[in-house]
Amino acid sequence: MSTEYRPHSWPREGIVLGVFAVVVFAMPWWLTWIGGYEALATKIVIWAIFALGFDILLGFTGYLSFGHAAFFGTSGYVAGLMFLHYSESIIPALLACLVVSIVLALVLGFLTLRRTGIYFAILTLAFAQMLHAAALSIFQEWTGGDNGLTMSAQPNLFGLPMDGLNVFYLAAVLVVIGFAMARQIRRSPLGLMLRSIKENQMRLEYTGVNVMAYKMTAYLISAIYAGTAGWLMVVYEPYVATKFLHWSTSGEVVIMSVIGGVNTLIGPMIGAAFMMYFENVVQSEIGELWKLVLGAIFVLIVIFLPGGFVDGYNRVRKVLGQKVPSRRHNVPDSPESMRKLRERGRTAEAGRTD
Amino acid sequence: MTQTDSNFLLDVQGVSKRFSGLQALNNVTLQIPEGSVHAIIGPNGAGKSTLLNVLIGLIEADEGTVRFDGRELRGMKPHDIIQRGIARVFQTPQIFPALSLLENVAIARLAKRDGKFAIKCVENLGPGNEVSDEAAEILTEVGLGDHVYESAQNLARGDKRRLELAVCLAAHPKLLLLDEPTAGMSRHDTNRTVELLQRISERGMTKIVIEHDMHVVFSLAEQMTVLAQGQVIASGAPADVKGDPKVIEAYLGGGPKE
Repeated sequence: MSTEYRPHSWPREGIVLGVFAVVVFAMPWWLTWIGGYEALATKIVIWAIFALGFDILLGFTGYLSFGHAAFFGTSGYVAGLMFLHYSESIIPALLACLVVSIVLALVLGFLTLRRTGIYFAILTLAFAQMLHAAALSIFQEWTGGDNGLTMSAQPNLFGLPMDGLNVFYLAAVLVVIGFAMARQIRRSPLGLMLRSIKENQMRLEYTGVNVMAYKMTAYLISAIYAGTAGWLMVVYEPYVATKFLHWSTSGEVVIMSVIGGVNTLIGPMIGAAFMMYFENVVQSEIGELWKLVLGAIFVLIVIFLPGGFVDGYNRVRKVLGQKVPSRRHNVPDSPESMRKLRERGRTAEAGRTD
Repeated sequence: MTQTDSNFLLDVQGVSKRFSGLQALNNVTLQIPEGSVHAIIGPNGAGKSTLLNVLIGLIEADEGTVRFDGRELRGMKPHDIIQRGIARVFQTPQIFPALSLLENVAIARLAKRDGKFAIKCVENLGPGNEVSDEAAEILTEVGLGDHVYESAQNLARGDKRRLELAVCLAAHPKLLLLDEPTAGMSRHDTNRTVELLQRISERGMTKIVIEHDMHVVFSLAEQMTVLAQGQVIASGAPADVKGDPKVIEAYLGGGPKE
C-alpha cells in the first residue's frame, strides 16, 4: 500500500495542537502582512469554528446540511436579545445560545435526519428559510425585522470589555479547544461510528447500532459549534444581521468546507480563512469581480481538486516524494507494531485451526 | 396462541408476508434448536431471503410470530433485534467501503461491547486498544489478517464476503444468518469458507444458511427446510429431504446436483 499509517501519540497530538494554536494566535499580525487587518482575524476564527463543527456532520457522517444558518443565526438573535434585555455579560448569553441550539437541533434533527442526500439538504434548507422568514415577519418585534437587531451594548466577560483583540483571543481559545475536541472525537469509538454512517447505514443498523441516535449526535455537535460561532459573532460586533439566518450563510459554510477539504477538520477552517480573506481583502482590490473569481475558483477546485486545499497539499507532497499519512485510520506505521498485531492474530488462528 | 417449546432458540410460527399480489411467505413455520446448523433451500423467488429479512426486522410480516431466545421479535427495531444476538450476512456483501478492514470489524465489536448507542469519545482506537486488537484477531481467523489496514473497497468479491462474515462473528451472535455465503466464490474459496463455517460450528453457534450449492448444504447442515412459492414443502435431515418427490419436482428438477 502506498499510504502510511500513524499511531496515536500524545506528544505528536501536542505538537499539532501547539502549532495550530501558534498560527491562530499570531493571525492578527501575520494577516496584516498580506493585506488583512485585526478584525478580519476575529471573523476568520469565528467562521472557522462554524466550519469545523460542520465538518463533524458533513465530513464524518456525509450528511450535507444546507440549513446550518438556522443555528448560527438563531444563536445570534438569542445573544443579541440577551445583551439587550438581560445582561451584557457574555456567559449567560452563551448558555442561552447553547440551550437554544441544542433544542433546535433536536427538533430539526428529528424532522430532517430521516431523509438522506438531496432530500435532507432540501429539508434543512426549508426549515432554515422558515426561521429566516419568521424572523422577518412574526418575530419582527424582537428581531428588528429587515434592519437587523441593533443595540448599543458592550458585551463583557466578568467586567472585561469584549472588544478588539479581547474578542479575538476569546475566539482563538475556543477554536483551539474545538479543534482538539474534534480530533479526539475522530479517533474515538464515537468518531468511528459517525464515519461509518457515511459508508453504509444498512450495515450499521444490522450490526446492532442505533444509527438515528448517532446521526442525531453528529447533528447536535455541529449545531453546538454553529451556535457558539453565532454567539461569538454578536460578541464581536453587537449587531444581528438578518443575513445570519439567510440561506447564503448556510451556503457559505458548505463552500468553505468543499474548497478546504471535507472530512479533514483543518480543511474547512482553511476554507473559512480563504473565503473571509477573499470577501474582505481581495474584494477591495478587484471590486465587484470578486464573486466571479471566487465562483471560478470553487468550480476549478470541485473539478480538479475534489479533496480541496488539503488534497492539493497532499498531492504536492506526493510529487515531492514525501509519505502522505492516511488520516482515516488510527493504526500503527512502525513495522514493529504491525508485526506484533499480526503475530497475535496468527497465534489465535493456529490455536483454532488445529 | 401456539404453545412454543423453549428448547428452540428460534421459533417461527405461521409467518406470512404478502407483497402487492405476490404471496412471498405463506404460513411458514421453522424451529431451530440451539447449536444446530439449518439450511434453507428453494428455487429463486421461493421466499428464502424474505424469511431472513422478516427475522431481522428488515421486512415486517403480516401474520405469525417470531420468537428468539424466549422473546417475540416482531415489532422490535432492527438494531434491537441484532443486539439480542442475531447477525446477518447479506446476499450482496454489506461492508463499510472506505474504512479499513480493522475499522469494519471494530464497529461490530463496539456494538457488542457498548450496546446500540454510547458516546465514547475519550478512548483512542488503535494498537493497544482492546477493540482494535480483537478485531485484528477475528480478521486473521477468517484469513484476512494480512490486510487489516487495507480499505474494504479494495477487496475482491469473495474477500468482501469473508470480511462481512468477520463483522458478523465479531458480535459473537447466538444465531448467525448466512445468505448464500459462497455465491460467486471459486471452488477453492468455497471450500475455505465451508471449512471456516465448520470451525465456527464447533463453538456451538447456531446458524441458518441459505445456499444453492448442495455440496455446501451437505457439508454444513444437520437439518434443512425446502421453500417453494413461500411455503415449506419439506423439512428434515438433508439425506431424507433430498429423496422427497415433492422437493425433486419443485427444486431439484432434473435430479440432485452433486
